Amino acid sequence: MALNLDRRHFLGLAGAGAGAAALAACGGPSTAGSPAASGAAEIDFSGVKPAASIDFWTNHPGKSQDVEKAMIEKFQAKFPDIKVNLVTAGANYEEIAQKFQTSQAAKSGLPGLVVLSDVWWFRYYTNGNIIPLDGLIKQLDIKVDDFQKSLVADYKYADKQWALPYGRSTPLFYYNKDHFKASGLPDRAPRTWQEFGEWAPKLKASSGAQYAYIYPALAGYAGWTLQNNLWGWSGSWSDGWTFNCDSTESVAALQWAQDSIFKDKWAGVSSKEAADDFAAGITSSTISSTGSLLGVLKSAKFNVGVGFLPGGPKNESAVCPTGGAGLGIPSGVSKEVQLAAAMFLKFMTEPENTAAFSAATGYMPTRTSADMTAVLAATPQIKTAMDQLAATRVQDNARVFLPGADQEMAKAAAKILTQQGDVKATMTELKATLEGIYTKDVKPKLKS
Amino acid sequence: MSLLSPVSPDPAAAAGPSSSRSSGPDGGAQGAHGAPDADPGIPQRRDRPFSRANLVRTIAGGYIPLILATLVVFLPLLWMVLSSLKQPGEIITMDLKVLPESLNLENYQTAMTTVPFTKFFMNSLIVTAVGATIKVLLAVLTAYALVFVRFPHKNLIFVLVLVALMVPPQVSILPNYILIAGLGGKNTLWGIILPGLGTAFGTFLLRQHFMTLPASILEAAEIDGAGHWRRLWQIVVPVSVPSIATVALVTVVSEWNDYIWPLIITDRPETMTLPVGLTLLQNSEGNGSGWGILMAGAVLVIVPILLVFAALQRYIVAGLTQGSVTG
Amino acid sequence: MTRQLTERPPAATGPAATAPAAPRRAGWSGRKRRDFFVFLALALPNLVLIAVFTYLPLFNNIYYSTLDWTLGSASATVVGFDNYISFFSSADAAKVLGTTAVFTLVTVGGSMVLGLLVALALNSKVRGTTFARSAVFAPYVLSGVGVGLVWLFIFDPGYGVLAWLLRGIGQQSPQWINDPQLSLVMVIIVYVWKNLGYCAVVYLAGLQSLPQDVMEAASLDGANGFRRFLSMSVPLLSPTTFFLLITTLISSLQAFDLIRIMTPLGNGTSTLIYEAYLQAFGAFNRAGYSASISVVLFAILLIITVLQLRFVERKVHYS
Repeated sequence: MALNLDRRHFLGLAGAGAGAAALAACGGPSTAGSPAASGAAEIDFSGVKPAASIDFWTNHPGKSQDVEKAMIEKFQAKFPDIKVNLVTAGANYEEIAQKFQTSQAAKSGLPGLVVLSDVWWFRYYTNGNIIPLDGLIKQLDIKVDDFQKSLVADYKYADKQWALPYGRSTPLFYYNKDHFKASGLPDRAPRTWQEFGEWAPKLKASSGAQYAYIYPALAGYAGWTLQNNLWGWSGSWSDGWTFNCDSTESVAALQWAQDSIFKDKWAGVSSKEAADDFAAGITSSTISSTGSLLGVLKSAKFNVGVGFLPGGPKNESAVCPTGGAGLGIPSGVSKEVQLAAAMFLKFMTEPENTAAFSAATGYMPTRTSADMTAVLAATPQIKTAMDQLAATRVQDNARVFLPGADQEMAKAAAKILTQQGDVKATMTELKATLEGIYTKDVKPKLKS
Repeated sequence: MSLLSPVSPDPAAAAGPSSSRSSGPDGGAQGAHGAPDADPGIPQRRDRPFSRANLVRTIAGGYIPLILATLVVFLPLLWMVLSSLKQPGEIITMDLKVLPESLNLENYQTAMTTVPFTKFFMNSLIVTAVGATIKVLLAVLTAYALVFVRFPHKNLIFVLVLVALMVPPQVSILPNYILIAGLGGKNTLWGIILPGLGTAFGTFLLRQHFMTLPASILEAAEIDGAGHWRRLWQIVVPVSVPSIATVALVTVVSEWNDYIWPLIITDRPETMTLPVGLTLLQNSEGNGSGWGILMAGAVLVIVPILLVFAALQRYIVAGLTQGSVTG
Repeated sequence: MTRQLTERPPAATGPAATAPAAPRRAGWSGRKRRDFFVFLALALPNLVLIAVFTYLPLFNNIYYSTLDWTLGSASATVVGFDNYISFFSSADAAKVLGTTAVFTLVTVGGSMVLGLLVALALNSKVRGTTFARSAVFAPYVLSGVGVGLVWLFIFDPGYGVLAWLLRGIGQQSPQWINDPQLSLVMVIIVYVWKNLGYCAVVYLAGLQSLPQDVMEAASLDGANGFRRFLSMSVPLLSPTTFFLLITTLISSLQAFDLIRIMTPLGNGTSTLIYEAYLQAFGAFNRAGYSASISVVLFAILLIITVLQLRFVERKVHYS
């Protein structure tokens, strides 16, 4: 009897345990098959009916919640059968990515359309999380030729199109016109950093601001905007898959940046948002995303000037990276959802909508045929951002293709720009880290 | 315990009963656990009342550290409240003023309209109320069973509960996410509540307390023919109110403040809780007016729990020290 | 550990243990059988929940730690102990363990020493101690997210009140956010602020249960009296100190919300728990590698628990 009870008890427990284990095991990764075959097969969408409801995951880049809502309403009016749920999936690109990756692990709760930043889309591609859009582009007749070429090309890999541009930006040079005038400087952005190096002491002496220039907050910006400095000195984070961030040129560029803070003492580093520091008058100039433009114009109590990014001693032009986010469609949802998402994607990137998005945020219109006259009449500064697009350069592989590299660059920058760490040593260390990420996380997954 | 009490720099206290301390709310709770409360008659009186040195010493040794400690706690919270009333221009400035220019609730309005704060509040309320009630109940039942009900290998079970305390909740995120999402619990309130329901902490604390109860009263009840259920509710629970209240407080607090799990398991405002909603207010780009709104959000998250705390604080000493007294 | 626990004095395990130790399976009396089911009815729901949502994830984690698995990828490869090897052989390990050690030691030491001092102040016989005690404890119950944001604003080198005060005396604010070392200092300060009250309240209870003669020493004038009081009370407070040491050690090792809110990138503040989180949910998505760090952390916590159990056991025997 007692034995009996014990055994039953034991069996019961074992059964419950096994059941729970089975339950847990139905999620998680499979260790059996070969690595995910990302986009190997073209999906056939003929005869597929769009889903009745899709989720759109966004972080509302550039405070775009209202304009996104308005666009959805317009879409709803045009396609009443497809309901689009606007989901705030995070406060920034990293948080969206975190949600997206976690959902992949559970294979459920995925959106139809997701905002993906320049440093994330490639990861989704290598993980097989997003589908190539080529079939949908053909079927829905999305006019890819009308998009800004360089912005579309950013999402091309292995002859397929993995996303389309959405909230795309470049960094801009912002300056306080009043300070520049008071210091007797010309009313324009400096052509090179050397020129600004001559201006800065004058600015600092007469403007009353704490800094002549403030480096963008390191977290989230260093890897992106410092490319400008590196390229000007003809250095880079990487050249192809060669990580040359410790080259003489790269070190010289960052040494100059360090000196501007610790030796010449006219520059500072922002803690959170350089655009805010600029608007508050802490600094006479800064570099920030075009996506901050509308916010700065609204909050600054002085005349705001914008210009191209300054060049360096080696390169005076083509020293500006592009950046920002695109839109992609997950592989883990049904064809119906994918089709509906593509219809919404097409709508969102139509010329008048990209113009509206641009007007609300300062992000660049992604379509060449977008009618920007009304927008530019209201905010002429956007013109500078659009013109600069012609002088942009494709970002370094190290930043956009290596997972986590952006953060590692920010850490290295923190060492150099706030702790006055040795530039050469820090960059050598960064190089080793980047190479480690490449061999561990990227190289095994590259095609060709 | 009342050694120094006759020498009080406060005229009101000096005029009143000699001990102002033992009448404090903690007096009862302490007494319940047999912490020795001094008899005011025993210590000898020191005949140096109101001496200048003594007065200075009382102020320096008694009041100044107290006031300092209280200020260190209050000033940051005060700053939060003041800042929540400030306009962006008053925050993003080099010319800081301590007081807001006007009593402007605009930040609260913005916080509550950009994200559905009322909804977050309701969700937090439901999650906390349901989660905490079940957890406390489970803790009481389990602790009773562990201490008073015969069962093979009870101590092994207790050790397993104890070890569960060591598993950091963050470690369970991914497996639990896969499990709960697989059960369809994503973006549901039960999905937020369920994984946290098993309570190792409450069980541990109450078990330690139940062990200190004199066996005699329970034996007497057993002889009277009272079953476990009656013994639990009529004897054990009534004498353990302070400990249970402590568990309740700690549980309510941790449910209300829980952050990482609700963050992972929800992505729709309809099911988010307050701490998650608060982080939604942060936006990556163009955060010029952000601080005022964030502080307003922080006030909305912090104040309700402060109120609950104020109501239950008298039990804290009693309960939290259980573990230290009984090992 | 089981063995030691069962060796406890019988009185400690309640009336059940006082029953005659009948030979185990000799015969199930009705009461014994009933107790068996009563126990299951009372305890099983909780135990099952703990098993499913705490132990199962733990074992899952141990399993994941043997995989090379990118979060978001549907497939993984079994790599055995590679994740552990690469963690301990990388520069990460030294950095993360170092940060964990500094964070844990300073927060535990800081909140205990300051907690004792505050408890001594609270133990004085002036009015208002009840209020002050509650006030000091209050931060302990507040949301880590809320507290983190409030302090982040206070520390903000641009618009924070600290920067403003420093500007008042002609100083520039330190780079709390960008400088990794200062970030760690900042997070430690806030963590101690939040947890100090807990130590103070527990120490206060310890002080109030001290025997009278120790308290009399406190009433002696001057530094001499205070020193004598300390030398008498500190040894007597050692059970309280030990209890606090263990509980604060465990919660320090599990500190998460503040680090997440104040330094999302974990630059300079990545303790074991945060590193485990970052590796999986941050930029790398190395889920398997992250699981191995979680397991290391769990092992450390487990060792602390075992030490605690042994220590408590010894104390019981000695007393």
